[in-house]
Amino acid sequence: MVKKKCVAMLLAGGQGSRLHSLTKSIAKPAVPFGGKYRIIDFTLSNCTNSGIDTVGVLTQYQPLVLNSYIGIGSAWDLDRRNGGVSVLPPYTEASEVKWYSGTANAIYHNMKYIEQYNPEYVLVLSGDHIYKMDYSKMLDYHIQNDSEATISVIEVPWDEASRFGIMNTNENFEIEEFDEKPAEPKSNLASMGIYIFNWSSLKNFLEVDNVNEDSSHDFGKDLIPLFLNEGKRLMAYPFEGYWKDVGTVKSLWEANMDLLNENPGLNLFDHSWRIYSRNPNQPPQFLSDTSEVRESLINEGCVVEGKVNYSVIFQGVKIHEGAEVEEAVIMPDAVIGKNAIVRRAIVPENISIPEGLTIEPEDGSDDIILVTEDMIAQLRKDVTA
Amino acid sequence: MSRLLGVIDATTVIGGLQDISLNRSVASIPFAGRYRFIDFVLSNMVNSGVDSVAIFPKHQYRSLMDHIGSGKNWDMDRKKDGLFFFPPFYEPNENSSVGSFARLEQHLDYFKRSHQDYVFIANSYVITNVDIEEALAEHLIHDHDITEIVNHDQSLEMYVLKKSLLIDLIEDRKKSQFISVADVAKQPFHNYKIGTYNHPGYAAVMNSIEAYYNHSMDLLDNTVWNQLFSADRPVFTKVKDEPPTRYSSSSVVTNCMVANGAVIQGNVENSIISRAVKIGRGSMVKNCVVMQKSQIGEGCTLEYVILDKDVRVMDGVSLKGTQENPLVLRKGTVREMAVSK
Repeated sequence: MVKKKCVAMLLAGGQGSRLHSLTKSIAKPAVPFGGKYRIIDFTLSNCTNSGIDTVGVLTQYQPLVLNSYIGIGSAWDLDRRNGGVSVLPPYTEASEVKWYSGTANAIYHNMKYIEQYNPEYVLVLSGDHIYKMDYSKMLDYHIQNDSEATISVIEVPWDEASRFGIMNTNENFEIEEFDEKPAEPKSNLASMGIYIFNWSSLKNFLEVDNVNEDSSHDFGKDLIPLFLNEGKRLMAYPFEGYWKDVGTVKSLWEANMDLLNENPGLNLFDHSWRIYSRNPNQPPQFLSDTSEVRESLINEGCVVEGKVNYSVIFQGVKIHEGAEVEEAVIMPDAVIGKNAIVRRAIVPENISIPEGLTIEPEDGSDDIILVTEDMIAQLRKDVTA
Repeated sequence: MSRLLGVIDATTVIGGLQDISLNRSVASIPFAGRYRFIDFVLSNMVNSGVDSVAIFPKHQYRSLMDHIGSGKNWDMDRKKDGLFFFPPFYEPNENSSVGSFARLEQHLDYFKRSHQDYVFIANSYVITNVDIEEALAEHLIHDHDITEIVNHDQSLEMYVLKKSLLIDLIEDRKKSQFISVADVAKQPFHNYKIGTYNHPGYAAVMNSIEAYYNHSMDLLDNTVWNQLFSADRPVFTKVKDEPPTRYSSSSVVTNCMVANGAVIQGNVENSIISRAVKIGRGSMVKNCVVMQKSQIGEGCTLEYVILDKDVRVMDGVSLKGTQENPLVLRKGTVREMAVSK
C-alpha cells in the first residue's frame, strides 16, 4: 500500500444521550443538522477539503443509519482507490469481543488499520462537532513546532471554562497541563477534541495505556497526561472561528439558529469550503401563495403553505396552510398540520403534528421542546378532554 | 433485466430555443430550478429499469458531457451495460429528425452487440415522466412495428421498436430514403404497422421560448408538480451540494419553486428560482424564470424575464417582457441601469 502522510480517525461511536429521543436509534454524529446535513458531514467535509483522503470512522452505538449514510464515502469524495473512508466497528477476536471502552481504546483496536497506510501522522477527530477547519494548516503547525502531539483549542468564555477539558499552556502554546472540567480553570483554552499525533509515539503510548488497568483509555484523561509525564512536547493549536458541541437539545437548537444570523459564524454558502452530504435528490421546494417565509433556511422537497419564521426546515417537510412555525427546527419529512403552531421546538424526522395542535414552551420559559410521538398523543388528549 | 435499449437522440437543433441553447445542446438546457432537459428522459429510462442507454449528442456537447459524467447520479455507472456517449464521427448534411439513421449508423456496433431485443428512442426536449415498460407492453400486445408515444394526440417523438427492425432500417436507409425513426413513423405510405401508446400524464414539448416559459410556469401547478416529480419515479440530476435556500427578514415569496443554495432578500412571485440564485433587497421578481447562479441586485423590477445562467442584473434595473414574448437575458449577460441624460 502507498504510504500516507496523515490518516484521520473519526470517533463516531458516541451515544449522545443528552439528545434524548433524537439519538434513540441513531448515533449522535448521524443527527440531522442545518437543514440538510448530519453532524458528521462537517468533519468528513473538513477532511476532504483539507486534502485528507484516508478516514477511518469508528462506530459502536446504533451504527446502522451511520453505516448506510457513509456508504463508500462518495458524497464526500472519499471513495478512493487507495484509502478513502472505512467504517470501523468493534470486532471479535479468537478469544473475546472487543467493545471500544474509550476513545483511545477504539484507536488501539484499529492500529492494524492505521499500520497498513504506514502514516507519519494520525489525526484524531470527533464526529460530534459543528465547525469548519483546515486540518492541513494544523498539520503544518504540528510539523513546524516539532510537536509530538498537537491539540486544537478554542477560547471559551471564562465562566464556561469549567465545562470543558482545559489546556494550560505557556505563552508559546506549549501544553503544560490538561485539566478535565476544572472547578477553577487556569486557562480558557478548551480542547476541541481534535488531535494530531506522530504515529510512532501514539502507537507506543496506546500500547502503554492499554495495559494500564487504572486507565479509562480516553485521549483527554489518559493519553495526553501520559505524553506530558514522559516530557513530550505537546502543542496547543489555537483555532479561531465557529465551533460548537451540539450535545444537548438546547445547544443543537442554538447551533441551528446560529445559521440564521445575518452574518453567521458558520457560512454554509462558501463555495471554497463546501459542506458535502448525501443528497436526498428531491425536487426544488415549493412556496405556495399562502406561504410567508422570513429569516429561514429551507431545503429541497419542501412544500410550504403556512408561515415560517426564523426556522430551519429540512428536506421533504410539508407545512400546511395556516400553520405557524417559529424559531423551530423541522427535521426531514415531518408534517406540520393545518393551523398547527410550533414554536421554539425541534420536530424530529417523520413526526406529524396534527391539525390545530399548538406546541410551544410555557410563557417566560426559555426551554426548547423536543417533540415526541408520546407528547403529541398527550397534547391531543388534553385538547379533547 | 430489461429487454429495452435506451437511445437519447440529442442531435436535434430547435431554432425556437436558440437564445437559451447558444452555448449548450438542447439536452442540457436548465429546467425546473435544478434539472437539465435530459434528466427527465434519462430518469424515465432508469425508473423503467433500462440498463443500457446510448446518448447521441450534437456539437456543443461539453456542457452535456460535464452534466452526465460517468452516469453515476443516475446509477448508470455499471460494469455490465450502463451509459454510453456516442459523439459524431461527422455531422450528416441532411435535415435531421428524431432517431436519425445517419447518426445511429455511425455506432451501429452498439446495437449489434447489445443483448436487448427492443429499442426505446427518445429526443431530449420533451419533459415528462413516462413508464417505458408500459409502452413496451402496449407495443407487444398490438404487435406494432413501431409504437409512437403520444400525449393527448400530440406526438412526444419517442418510439419503441424491435432492435432488428432498427438495424434493418439503418442498413437500408439509402435504398428506402427514410432518414429517421420519426420519418418512418410519420410517412403514410409503407408496410410498417405504426401504433401509438398514449401517455396519460403531463408532457411538455419544448419547441420555442414561449413553450419553455409556459411549461416552466406549469410547474407552479400542484398537479403538474406531482406528475413530474412522483416519489416513486424520481428525477435524478447532477448533485451540486448547495446548502438549503436562505430567506432573509425582508423576503416575501409567494407561489414559487425555489432550488437550493439561493439567497432571497427581495420579493418573488410566480417564478422559478434555480440553484444558487441571489435576489437582493427591495427587488421585485414576478413571473420570471431565473437560471442557476444568476444574481439580481437591489431595487430591481423584473417581470416576464428569463434569465439564463450567470446573468447579472445590477441595482435598480427594470426589465419587462410579456407572457407571449418573455424577455430573454442570455447566459452571462450583465445588465446595468441605463444612464439617463
